[in-house]
Amino acid sequence: MEQPTLPAPDKRRVKFLVGGGVIALALVGLIVFAMTRPNATSFYMTTTEIQAAGALQASADVRVNGDLVQDSVVEEGVTTTFDITDGSSRLTVSTDSTLPDAFYSDSDVIEIIAQGQYDGDTFTATQVFAKCPSKFKAQT
Amino acid sequence: MSPIRSLAGLGRPSLLGALVFSLFAIAAFIAASRTGRRDLSQAGKRALYATFGFTALATISLVTALLAHDFSLSYVTSYTSRSLSVPYTISSLWGGMEGSLLFWTTLLTGFSALAIAKAPARNSRLVGAAGAVLMGIAAFFLFMVAFPGNPFAEVAGDVPVDGNGLNPLLQSPGMVIHPPLLYTGFVGFSIPFAFAIGALFTKRLDDSWFTATRQWTLFAWTALSIGIVLGGAWAYTELGWGGYWAWDPVENASFMPWLTATAFLHSVVIQEKRRMLKVWNVTLIVLTYGLAVFGTFLTRSGLLSSIHTFSEGPIGKYFLPFLALLLVGGLGMVAYRLDALRSENRLDSLISRESAFIANNVLFVAAAFTVLWGTIYPIVAEVSSGIRLSVGPPFFNTIFAPIGLAIIGLTGIGPLISWRRMSKGAFWRMVRVPLGAGGLTVLALGLGGLSSPGALLSFALCAFTSTAIIGEFVRGSRVYRRRDSVGPLTALNRTIARNRRRYGGYIVHLGVLLIVIGFAGNAFKVERRADMAPGDTLDVGSYTLTYEGVRTATTSEKDIFEATLAVSRGDDGVGTMRPQRNLHLAQGQWQSEVAIRTNPIEDLYVVVTGFDTDRSAVIRTFVNPLTWWIWAGAAVMLAGMLVVMSGRAPVTVTAAKRAPAKREPAVAR
Repeated sequence: MEQPTLPAPDKRRVKFLVGGGVIALALVGLIVFAMTRPNATSFYMTTTEIQAAGALQASADVRVNGDLVQDSVVEEGVTTTFDITDGSSRLTVSTDSTLPDAFYSDSDVIEIIAQGQYDGDTFTATQVFAKCPSKFKAQT
Repeated sequence: MSPIRSLAGLGRPSLLGALVFSLFAIAAFIAASRTGRRDLSQAGKRALYATFGFTALATISLVTALLAHDFSLSYVTSYTSRSLSVPYTISSLWGGMEGSLLFWTTLLTGFSALAIAKAPARNSRLVGAAGAVLMGIAAFFLFMVAFPGNPFAEVAGDVPVDGNGLNPLLQSPGMVIHPPLLYTGFVGFSIPFAFAIGALFTKRLDDSWFTATRQWTLFAWTALSIGIVLGGAWAYTELGWGGYWAWDPVENASFMPWLTATAFLHSVVIQEKRRMLKVWNVTLIVLTYGLAVFGTFLTRSGLLSSIHTFSEGPIGKYFLPFLALLLVGGLGMVAYRLDALRSENRLDSLISRESAFIANNVLFVAAAFTVLWGTIYPIVAEVSSGIRLSVGPPFFNTIFAPIGLAIIGLTGIGPLISWRRMSKGAFWRMVRVPLGAGGLTVLALGLGGLSSPGALLSFALCAFTSTAIIGEFVRGSRVYRRRDSVGPLTALNRTIARNRRRYGGYIVHLGVLLIVIGFAGNAFKVERRADMAPGDTLDVGSYTLTYEGVRTATTSEKDIFEATLAVSRGDDGVGTMRPQRNLHLAQGQWQSEVAIRTNPIEDLYVVVTGFDTDRSAVIRTFVNPLTWWIWAGAAVMLAGMLVVMSGRAPVTVTAAKRAPAKREPAVAR
């Protein structure tokens, strides 16, 4: 096997520092790029906050959370409409997506997280998460 | 009445006993590591065994309480009910926070007892220091289960007649084995971590800390890998959204230590062979263990909102300082011993197996860092600027596409390059065939109508790397065919048997490639959703579903609503699928049971998300191409790991030079 001549130690150190710097920069660049992709990050709001903000620029999804208002659920084909509340305001959410099983729980409190767009009146969700905290929380 | 009597009364006293013995073990082990005295080390070991014995007794008493439906315990009331079947009743041991912490602690003390008992006696100082670290961790967890997270706490007021029952989502075979496997993985890393810290304390910084714990590292990694895959399988078959990975914080919590542990598994090879990267290796194991503990904490603290947070508890305020101690203490020790951790060799050339391993490590650690970033960014943003936001799958997918593909490429290149250095010509001779295979794949798939550049690149890299790996098997077995004049299969067998670590590793890599093929198939997923009256049809992919109606039934646990769908393809009937939507009576909760027809080409996945009084049903269906390969690849990975673990500890390059009696013939290069 041929023996390539080894560069001097100082030169090697510079090489490795430059290499490490390039890798670190590439990583930071990748993270920044990924963070700015559509829906990579979405704001998380309460029903009061989103109504105060009004209709949103339809560029990115927002997440809104609140408790399901019992007896507000209306199902029409694949579309479901329901209200959520943070205690002081009420927001109507409409969605064509599948609702998680916890949404249909008979629990007193069902926490909803809806992801989608707000037009100033109705929140149109592309995805809905639900959980019922009272059922499975450790009793401490 | 259950034939089993509840031994709950033994629980807390056992835990307190275990805590006392663990504190005694710490003192004895510290003294043993300072003096090197055998009798002190023996005393520490006995105290360690007693700690394990009492912890196991506590676990047994909790299991008896669960089986006997002893609803005087708050834990039993919260997570079980009389109608719950025996396997799920036992699995509720890890269904809630207190029980899972106890389970963690039992694994930890059991693994510690095994590892310390089997550790070579000549390293008594190292073993003493490692034992002290393990018992320190055990003492923390014993404190947690004896005080703030006590699973033996009694219910306030009257003893209920029945319990709340286990969350129906957790009533699945996958959930019976997924958490214990993850915990086995998390806890298993305690052993290499403790020996690394022990080595730093006692300044025994040769290879002995990781050779002594090599099997533990492999075992923990295997358990974690299989646990993660089973978690995906559980999500796929239970959650009904047609996917298996959602970049949920809790999923990320298990994935981060897996990434750093994978880096560690590879980089210790360089330390063994070339005595390099010593600082890096101890740092990696500290990070891996820190992330494993962080994972346990994330799952159980409720710090991040997650659809997986089945239970939350007041344990965060204890966990965070503990985690800080592990990380600051561990990394502080690395810094303190920096001089003793100097590499004995340098990187000779960029075209060398060392540099391929280093590149692999950089990628894995970068991947772990980005997952950590995405996972904790919501907390950072809220604390620093008060903005509440969430980080979603697009972030992680954007990151993992390039990093994952680079790792796949390196997996192929690595084995083709020799240690130390290689001429460009020799390198070219090794890569040209795999490169050709990758090129042909692009050509064939491109002509076949595949136009997605990401998918083309994924499949091409899979072809490149699998060809490279198969080439390794061919070259390896050729040596035996010539030397022993045996058939190709016998030669292949001998190749693998004589160097199990290396070829077992390649088998694991082949499994990973199959999994990547499954991921790539995800790009061609098709989804349809419709409200169907009996007789309606729905087309999805090449299938046609005809909704025939709903059947109802009632058991002691649930009301069952089952949709019947006839499946056809063109004019051919394929079969009938029966997804269910059931009301679990104890919890008053609806739970979908997915129907899946699976084959290597594609899965047909059908969920019923609602029924109406007019017998119509809302049906959601997916065609998921190549998903079968994910589970097949995981099985191949497991087989490869079993081969690796059955192997002997290797001889290092330098040691091999000193000892001319080498067992394996050199592979022709």
